Amino acid sequence: MGEGRVINQLRTLRFLAGEMTQAELGAKIGVTRQTIAAIEQGKYSPSLEAAFRIALALGKSLDEVFQWETEKS
Amino acid sequence: MAWREKTAWITLVAMGVTYGVYFTLISRQSLSTLSMLELFAVVTVLQVIAVVTVTSVLAALSSEEARAKPDERDRAVARRGASIAYFVLIVGVITVGVVMPFRDSGWRLTNATFFALVIAETVRYLTVVVSYRRGWHG
Repeated sequence: MGEGRVINQLRTLRFLAGEMTQAELGAKIGVTRQTIAAIEQGKYSPSLEAAFRIALALGKSLDEVFQWETEKS
Repeated sequence: MAWREKTAWITLVAMGVTYGVYFTLISRQSLSTLSMLELFAVVTVLQVIAVVTVTSVLAALSSEEARAKPDERDRAVARRGASIAYFVLIVGVITVGVVMPFRDSGWRLTNATFFALVIAETVRYLTVVVSYRRGWHG
């Protein structure tokens, strides 16, 4: 399997969820605002549990929030 | 900046300055045992005071962040820092405990042990800071 990385649509989905702030989303799933910011910037890949919590908080399925992007060589 | 990144920076800078002064002085001057102990005590107390003071001021300014429990990213970053520092410490311990006794003794061994501890802690906090800055996918 090729190299890749997790990408996400968090920023867009937060906006669509009534312009939910990073702090609000963080409070809902039990992480800090900075961790939500790091996830959005692709600097941190959340645990599976946190990923499910985020999807639930945004009212979306997991694959609508997170995707796997294969790197082109 | 995450709260735990701030505290890592504070500890890193305080440790670098205080123990940097200590190891520079003992490597350049031939100090008596008592002077060395006094210097070590002063440096350690200054480091603790600097870390506690700056952390307390920052905590007062951002009390909500300071009270928050570490989340999963904080814990992952801390684990990464500790595991990398562990290997650095092991190398230091092997050097001090197994290699150095063949040619050194006394305070040189003690100071080398302190040095290994300081280097391991520095690596730990550096890893934490870098992991927060550049990202960590562990």
